[in-house]
Amino acid sequence: MIDIKVDNVSKNYKLPANGDAARRWYRRGVMRGSECVWALRNVSFQVREGEALGIVGHNGAGKTTILRLLSSITAPTSGEITIRGRLAAMVEVSSGFHPELTGLENVYLHGAMLGMRRSEIRRKLESIVEFSGVGRYIEVPVKRYSSGMYVRLGFAIAAHLDPDILLLDEVLAVGDAAFQAKCLDRITELRKDGRTLVFISHDLAAVYRLCDRALLVNQGRILADGLPRQVIDHYQQMTFADQGTSLQEHPSTARPAECTSVAFSAPGFPEVRTGYPMTARLGYRASTSIPNAVFRISIYWPSGYLCSQLTTESKARDFSLEPGTGTIEFRCPKLPIVPGLYRVDLEIESHGREIDLRQRCATLRVEPGDIVYGDFYIENTWEITEPVSA
Amino acid sequence: MRSPPETIVASQIADGLRNVPAFSSLETLDGVVPTRARTVKVIRSPSFSVRTVLLGLYTLVQYSDLLYTLSLFRLNVRYKQSVLGWAWAALQPLALMGIYTFIFTRVTTVATGGIPYPVFVFSALLPWIFFSSTISNAVNGLILCPNLLTKMYFPREIIPLSYILAALVDFFIASVLLAGVMTYYRVPLTWHLLFTIPIVFILGGVAAAVALFLSAIQVRFRDMGLAMPFLLQIWMFTVPVVYSLRSVPMRFRTLYLLDPVASLIEDFRQVVVHGALPSLRSLVFSGALTIVGLLLAYAFFKSSEATMADVI
Repeated sequence: MIDIKVDNVSKNYKLPANGDAARRWYRRGVMRGSECVWALRNVSFQVREGEALGIVGHNGAGKTTILRLLSSITAPTSGEITIRGRLAAMVEVSSGFHPELTGLENVYLHGAMLGMRRSEIRRKLESIVEFSGVGRYIEVPVKRYSSGMYVRLGFAIAAHLDPDILLLDEVLAVGDAAFQAKCLDRITELRKDGRTLVFISHDLAAVYRLCDRALLVNQGRILADGLPRQVIDHYQQMTFADQGTSLQEHPSTARPAECTSVAFSAPGFPEVRTGYPMTARLGYRASTSIPNAVFRISIYWPSGYLCSQLTTESKARDFSLEPGTGTIEFRCPKLPIVPGLYRVDLEIESHGREIDLRQRCATLRVEPGDIVYGDFYIENTWEITEPVSA
Repeated sequence: MRSPPETIVASQIADGLRNVPAFSSLETLDGVVPTRARTVKVIRSPSFSVRTVLLGLYTLVQYSDLLYTLSLFRLNVRYKQSVLGWAWAALQPLALMGIYTFIFTRVTTVATGGIPYPVFVFSALLPWIFFSSTISNAVNGLILCPNLLTKMYFPREIIPLSYILAALVDFFIASVLLAGVMTYYRVPLTWHLLFTIPIVFILGGVAAAVALFLSAIQVRFRDMGLAMPFLLQIWMFTVPVVYSLRSVPMRFRTLYLLDPVASLIEDFRQVVVHGALPSLRSLVFSGALTIVGLLLAYAFFKSSEATMADVI
């Protein structure tokens, strides 16, 4: 069964007119039709029952417009959307709260706004309060809540919606780690129950984990539709081309040396995996001789924190770069980082001075290999040892 | 090493093994997916049509609990953190009664047909305040919560409509006061008072129509809200609140009574003060006008609702 059918949908926004009414009318009359923007253009896609669809794209590509259309917050300019079943959008889960009302009153108000019946809320009330962890503060006006309690209560209500179709927009970006884990647990549970999911995010790793299918939206059109992996690849290629940080061209040419390419591979395997060997090759070009050169490949978590670094920096070994091109090869016998998508920086330094820095110019995708929980892999072997006898 | 949260989470999903048992209390997680009839919803470009109205009414019925909850909420937050609280509901008509009584008995006089002026003016102020406070609150209702409009979906008409019930409760409080004032001036209370129910009901319909129409405009053009206090003031003087219908010259009467608010307020006063029967003809006329107006206002509201989130 098809749960969501988007059929040739377009959406145009009139640009907000600044200034007073007279000027607005003047513009409307004189510059007719010149100040509208197409947020979506002839977009069609379908989502099957039980499917998890991820939507990726740059800011302003039309992702949020799709979400707003699906949840009826705004209507399409042309085209038609068919939705089968109860749809719930988990978007800024506490936006319906009124500060003067108590937590309890807000549960009823917010629940009703999300489309719950009063009887349904009454039935689930205990579970909502327990889940939110707000406890006895439920009788206190929410203006006295901490921001954490606020968000938890909002999510507790949304989590009890029991929808057929769930829309998610960057909910994972708010709250602390425990809250995010809770959100994701709930989402995973709904997925296991066979609910349909539409997930809009900048977090490519999360899309990759959560979704069975992905759409790439750019400038109001669908550029790619397929397996998350392929779509994300497409997106990343597009991103680098877009931002002019492709390793083939560099904004300024007056550099004594620059990075020209980077590639990650696993000797003997088709892809880079946790716990398996990895080779990183960094290509460079130098126009003059560079004394005391240092190469660095910085690997970042999706969140932007530095995860680890491969570097030629060493106390013992000093090397100078000769003019010409070349490749530095880093060999890692066992890759200790967990599966995921990492962003990569490249850097060349000389005497501690930056010569070339390419920020977030590539990605490293690590596939599941050896089983690993936590943040990194600790190399180990194991055996059963004889108990030491007295 | 500090670990970024995203990655912890990602690996949890990847293996799917480490489910935190916090959710086990939820009924949906018992592994039983209740099979239920699914409604099919079609979203299209908005139009000013019968289909829009029917679809809107259908959704409104589904969200009737929200209308109820939101109306309760208006009552709840209305007098929160105010010292006088509910007394405000009585204070406003009382103060107006006082000032109008002073003006129209000491400064100048109007013909009231032998009714003490305080009773005369209070009996009309009551429905008028119900009508005008509904509208002045409802017009600004939508723009006071831009967050709700851009982040969540529910039938938007619920916001302006939710002010009617709150105004109605104020109306009841003031009604008790009216009964007191009437007893004080020895104006008899009769069973004909029951006829005020259909009158107030129709007046509520007019208020709903006007509120829907004006609040849909207010989202786009804030001029509406700016003009509102002054429009309502003018409107009050075009309906028989401080003066009697009999003071209106005969040749203007028909035109004057075309405004359903004018004829309804006059009927209200006739019923309450004179113990008369309301004129059936005017009730049917204003009732029919209200239904037509309400449907048109609703269609207008619904057709502009679809893009409210874009323009607010």
